[in-house]
Amino acid sequence: MSQPSSDHAQDHTDVPSDPALRVKALESLLVEKGLVDPEALDVLVDTYENRVGPRNGAQVVARAWVDPAYKQRLLEDGTAAIAESGYSGGQGEKLTVVENMSSVHNVIVCTLCSCYPWPVLGLPPTWYKSFAYRSRTVIDPRGVLSELGLDLPKDIEVRVWDSNAASRYFVLPERPDGTESMSETDLATLVTRDSMIGVAMVASPTVGGVS
Amino acid sequence: MNGIHDMGGMHGLGEIGYKESAPGYDEPWEVRLFALVQAMRTGGLRAYIEGIPAPDYLRMGYYERWYTALITRIIERGSVTLAEVDSGRADPASAKATPALTPEIARDLLSRSTKTEQDIELAPRFHVGDSVRGRNMNPATHTRMPRYTRGKTGVVERDRGVFDLPDIEQTSAEPKPQHVYLIRYAGRELWGEEAPPNDSLYIDMWEDYLEPA
Repeated sequence: MSQPSSDHAQDHTDVPSDPALRVKALESLLVEKGLVDPEALDVLVDTYENRVGPRNGAQVVARAWVDPAYKQRLLEDGTAAIAESGYSGGQGEKLTVVENMSSVHNVIVCTLCSCYPWPVLGLPPTWYKSFAYRSRTVIDPRGVLSELGLDLPKDIEVRVWDSNAASRYFVLPERPDGTESMSETDLATLVTRDSMIGVAMVASPTVGGVS
Repeated sequence: MNGIHDMGGMHGLGEIGYKESAPGYDEPWEVRLFALVQAMRTGGLRAYIEGIPAPDYLRMGYYERWYTALITRIIERGSVTLAEVDSGRADPASAKATPALTPEIARDLLSRSTKTEQDIELAPRFHVGDSVRGRNMNPATHTRMPRYTRGKTGVVERDRGVFDLPDIEQTSAEPKPQHVYLIRYAGRELWGEEAPPNDSLYIDMWEDYLEPA
């Protein structure tokens, strides 16, 4: 087991006074040594900043809402159905989609670190990686959800998904009332990142909003 | 390992700090660092993050832990020296390397998934519907079995297929491919009578983590 040697870890446990400068210095060093190609780095940064993100997941959700056959494929084999919509790659190797229903509410957590379905949701928000969310969501999901503004009735079954292994989870939220006449494109604008983590519901469109 | 990172079920770890529509990063350097980690193709850094002493782990931010893990890993494998990291300058005597990640591979990484599932025919020890118990194991090294599942009984919901056991991925041991199962635990089994009767927790478990119940 290659545990980090404690002397190195201790040498580097000082919080950099300016982390931005420390990272910049590290990048320069790795480029100077020929270990990193700056152009490859730019490709990766562009991906995290612009190409992966919850808009991808929202498209998948909206399509599932309007296309029952797609929804079925999505629930049976999330990886394949999401790839069909054009999203795959790092951290999306095995995607499992779990469906919220009037009687079942799903919520996702990673207690050990920060596992998250990047291709459809992007990088996880800071609160998802907070010690409190990681520790409490498994033991008191209703308390956590309530704190985040979602109070669930007692008769709803809560299912917590701890993403510790090869699978990454993605919640298919319930389609809100009052959206029967909306197009797939407009429906996608209603779907929030937090509803696909399972800490929020998708709200009905407000009067005078998207129609 | 029974480390601070294995925090499922703990109390007193501060505030969630929830912000609706919060982005995946707060500062541009965080994304830059994450890209550096990928570009260095270090392999899994989990064990290095988990190896950060608990008081430091708790004090550091998420991306600071990645920074520490990356530095530790690349010094350990000899890509850079501590002196180079501290000075920010390459040792003039060191050879120039060839980048592990080209822009072409970087683009390819994002359009093509790396399959982690193994195409190996192995007879599963457990089947859907079986009752299984989490083994009482306390490895001092990396594992994906959270403490809160040890000794607890659940039911096999799904056979995920065959995957390498991550517990030994950073050792020189031979790979140990085995079935991974989705297990459903009743909330009350994990947390006692106070837990709501209908709530449950789902988690993937490698075969080595389980025994028949």
